[in-house]
Amino acid sequence: MRRSIQFRLNGEAVSAQVAPHETLVEVLQDAFGLFGARESCGQGLCGCCTVVVNGRAVSGCLYLASFAEGGEVSTIEAGSRLDAVQEAFIECGSLQCGFCTPGFILMTRQLLEEHPEPDDDTIRHYLSGNLCRCAAYPQIIEAVKLAARKMRQT
Amino acid sequence: MPFELAEPRSLREAIASLDAKDPSVRPISGGTALMLMMKAGVLRPSRLVSLGKLGLAGIRTGPGGELRVGAMTSLRTIEKSEIVRKGWPVIARTLRTLANVRVRNVATVGGHLAHADPHMDLPPVLSALGARVTIAGAAGERSIPVEELGTGYLETSIRLDELITLLEVPPLGGRSAAYLKCTTRSADDWPAVGVAVSLDFQGDSIREASVVIGAATDKPTRLAAVERILVGRKLDENLLDEAATQELSVEGDLHGSAAYKKQLIRVYLRRAIHEARAQSR
Repeated sequence: MRRSIQFRLNGEAVSAQVAPHETLVEVLQDAFGLFGARESCGQGLCGCCTVVVNGRAVSGCLYLASFAEGGEVSTIEAGSRLDAVQEAFIECGSLQCGFCTPGFILMTRQLLEEHPEPDDDTIRHYLSGNLCRCAAYPQIIEAVKLAARKMRQT
Repeated sequence: MPFELAEPRSLREAIASLDAKDPSVRPISGGTALMLMMKAGVLRPSRLVSLGKLGLAGIRTGPGGELRVGAMTSLRTIEKSEIVRKGWPVIARTLRTLANVRVRNVATVGGHLAHADPHMDLPPVLSALGARVTIAGAAGERSIPVEELGTGYLETSIRLDELITLLEVPPLGGRSAAYLKCTTRSADDWPAVGVAVSLDFQGDSIREASVVIGAATDKPTRLAAVERILVGRKLDENLLDEAATQELSVEGDLHGSAAYKKQLIRVYLRRAIHEARAQSR
């Protein structure tokens, strides 16, 4: 039942043997040892499994790995240097346990692409599909705004 | 949960991969709902037929000014479409609060309509607007109103060997439309009730009214008695009182009891009509 699929993962051409039922987050963990996207609620509500496929954020726990064939997959592990969003999350203390942080970072990048100067309502609305059980929400909103300022300066 | 994943390249091949007699063979589009059903164990497919490679995505307007949306168009693409925002703003506004960005990035309009969960937002909106879907099967295509899709909880009039290929929404013309929903837990929760209204005003009077509610029973429900009260009357608080006191058939669920939902409908019906009125100015 397994078959080979090819896609680009964080800029590199890769292939993996996947079973029809396997999700993208399972394949990232089992075949590539990437654990930044992790399944938490398993229902697409919490955002911990966020992966970017062809430029759009998806819930990796609800996304069949087979659907990534021929596509461009990007995770929190992409890149070797911290970007403005990651720096802002660190500077604002926007995490405690850090479990939800990769999802928040990836969603924030998409948010800032669409809304370079977001107000609080826009941030809360856009990130309503990301949950933080440490409840670092006030610091997360600050970090999004700080990241927006950093990105405008560069 | 072993199943076979078929990825046909043509509509004909996709329909041939379905099975008129075997309900364990199902089409899959974005998969956001099917994945949940499989995880919950309520769907155990033997074969999933992916519709991702059929070229069924795209948004354009037709010769009669109607909106034509390919079944595999993502909800997010529809939400962001300038065509939709300008011509059918109620659809773009409704999508803005449907689940979350990631779900809208992946979920498709065809899947949304075929899933037939009565809590979904678009079926009442599209029914109120008089939208239709094209359904393709081995014998050819047929077109039915969105309103006739749902037959019960997660049940539709689409046969096992048929697929939704296209959504068509007539131009709003002089109508103004609104959709309001109440979520009782979090903002992106399933609604306890959703109220869609489409009203055609002539001055202060209502010439035409279409009112469809979601999440109240096992499928979207047209409030024909409310429509009859509204048509031909001047919009004022007395009329809204009269419309809001109609007897409703409502079933309770996890999101609210029947009595609570009835009260929500009374309140949200008024608000939705006011909202449509505001849109018309």
